[in-house]
Amino acid sequence: MRGCGPAGVAVVRLDSIGKSYGAGADVLHDVSLTLEAGDFCCVTGECGVGKTTLLNIVTLAEQPSAGSLTLFDIDALAADRATRAALRRRIGIVFQDLRLLDHLSAGDNIALPLRIARVREDEIRDHVNELADWFGLAHRIEAHPPILSAGERQRVAVARAIVSRPELLIADEPAAGVDDETAATLAHVFERLNGLGTALLIATRDVALAQQFECRRLHLERGELTSPDSGAWQ
Amino acid sequence: MTLQNTGPLRLDLSLAGDPIGRVLCWVLALLGYLAVVGGIALVLLSSDIGEWDRSLGSSLTLQIPAEVSAARIETILALLRQTAGVRGARLLELAETAKLLEPWLGPAAATATLPIPRLVDVQVDPKAAIDIADLRQKLSSVAANIQLDDHRQWLDNARSTAIRLASLVAAGIAIVTLSAAALTAALTRARLAVRRETIELLHLIGAADGDVARPFQADALRRGLLGGAIGAAAALVTWLVVSGVMPAHALPAVVAWSDWRLWGVTIAAALVAGLVAMVAARITALRRLSLMP
Repeated sequence: MRGCGPAGVAVVRLDSIGKSYGAGADVLHDVSLTLEAGDFCCVTGECGVGKTTLLNIVTLAEQPSAGSLTLFDIDALAADRATRAALRRRIGIVFQDLRLLDHLSAGDNIALPLRIARVREDEIRDHVNELADWFGLAHRIEAHPPILSAGERQRVAVARAIVSRPELLIADEPAAGVDDETAATLAHVFERLNGLGTALLIATRDVALAQQFECRRLHLERGELTSPDSGAWQ
Repeated sequence: MTLQNTGPLRLDLSLAGDPIGRVLCWVLALLGYLAVVGGIALVLLSSDIGEWDRSLGSSLTLQIPAEVSAARIETILALLRQTAGVRGARLLELAETAKLLEPWLGPAAATATLPIPRLVDVQVDPKAAIDIADLRQKLSSVAANIQLDDHRQWLDNARSTAIRLASLVAAGIAIVTLSAAALTAALTRARLAVRRETIELLHLIGAADGDVARPFQADALRRGLLGGAIGAAAALVTWLVVSGVMPAHALPAVVAWSDWRLWGVTIAAALVAGLVAMVAARITALRRLSLMP
C-alpha cells in the first residue's frame, strides 16, 4: 500500500459495511477497506457479487444498511447534503454504463465536473483540450456521444472522471467492451494518475486487467471481501 | 485551477425547447387570463361601491304625499334649506317623477289622474353629520306621512352584496393561483423525470441541489412571466370587446383605460404567475433531489 498524501488521512475508510435490499440476503457483509492517498486497489469478482454496490456506497450513490463510511476523514453518512456534494466533487467516477450526456458534446461532457466546481471558462477550455489531446480525442471534441465509437465514449468517460484531478478515482469495469488499444491507454492513464497521488479503486470481473496493475487486489464473493493471500482469489 | 465564483452555475439541461415547458407556459397563460378577468371584476366592484358611496352618501330623497298643498311643500323646502349640512333641495317636476315611474307604469301613465307623490332631491355635505331622526320629526310636524330616505339601508345591502361577490372573486383568484402552483409542480416533476439520468449524474459528480434546481426555477420564471403576460393581454382584449359590445348601463361600472388599477392588475398577474411558477418549480425540484442519497 502506497501513501503520498498527508500521513494518516484516509481517503476512504469502510468499516463493517453491510448492504441488503429489503428482506433479501446481504449483498455486502461486514466489508472493511481503507485507502489512503496514492493507494491503488482493484476489486475483482463475478457479475452480481456486489462490486457496483460497493462502489455506489463509496460514491455516496447508495446508503449502506450497516457500518460506517469515512471519506477524506469526514463521516460521510452523518454529513449534511452540502458536505456530501463537496465530498463527491473530490471523487472522479467512471460509471459502468458511462453515463455520458447525449445532448452535450464530448468536450462539454468532459468539462462537467469543472463547471460544477465553478472553474473559470478559459481554464476549463485549456484543461479539456489538453485532456482530449492526451486521450486522442482532439478531433472528436465537438462530437456528441451517440456518434462516438465505444472506445471513444469510454475515453470521454474516463477523461470526465479525471479532469478535475480528483483525490479518489472510482472506476466500475473501466475496460469493458473496449479494444486493446483503448484498454492499454486507460491502464496507462490510471497508473499516471496514481503516480500523481490519486487513490484508485477499480472494480472489474477481468482478473487479467487487475493483474496488469501494481496494486492491492481484493476479491468480492458472497458479499465478503477477501485478499488473494486468503486463497479466495485466483 | 481558478474558481470563477461569479454568478450562479449554469447547467445545460435542455429546458428551452422542452415541450413540457411549452405546456407550462400555456397553462399559466390560461390561469393568468382567469386571474386577470377576476381582477378586473374586483376593480369594477370596488368602483361600484365607491360610486354608490359618493353619489348616495351625499343625497337624501324626500317623498311628500300627493295631497300635501303647495304652500306646505314650500315650507318643507325652506325647512330643508335651513338645516345645517344641507347644500340644496330641489323639488322634482311631476314630469320628472313620471319619467322615474315609467319602467313600472309605462309611458302612458296618467300622472294627472294618479296620486303621485312629490319627490325632493336633497343634496347634503357628506362630511356633515345630519341628525336624520330629528329632521324626520321636524318634517312630520309640517306634513303627515312624509318619508325621508337617506339610502342607508339600500347602500348597506348593496355594499354587503358587493363585498360578498368580491370575496367570491378573490377566492376564485386564490384558487387559480394555487392551481398554477400545483400544475407547475406537476409539470416540473415530469421535467425532472424526463431528465432523471442527467440529474442523477450531476448529483453524483457533486452538483449541489440548488445548482440542479436553478435551471428549472429560472425556466419556470421565464415561462410564468410569458404565460402570465399572454393571459393578461387576452383578458384585456376580452374586457375591450365586452365593454364595446355591451350597452353602458348593462355594465356594473365603467373603468377607464387610463385607470391605473386596470394596468396594475395586468402587470401583477404576469409577475405573480412568474413568481408562483418559480417558487413551485424550485420547491418541487429541491424536494425531488432530497430523495437522492
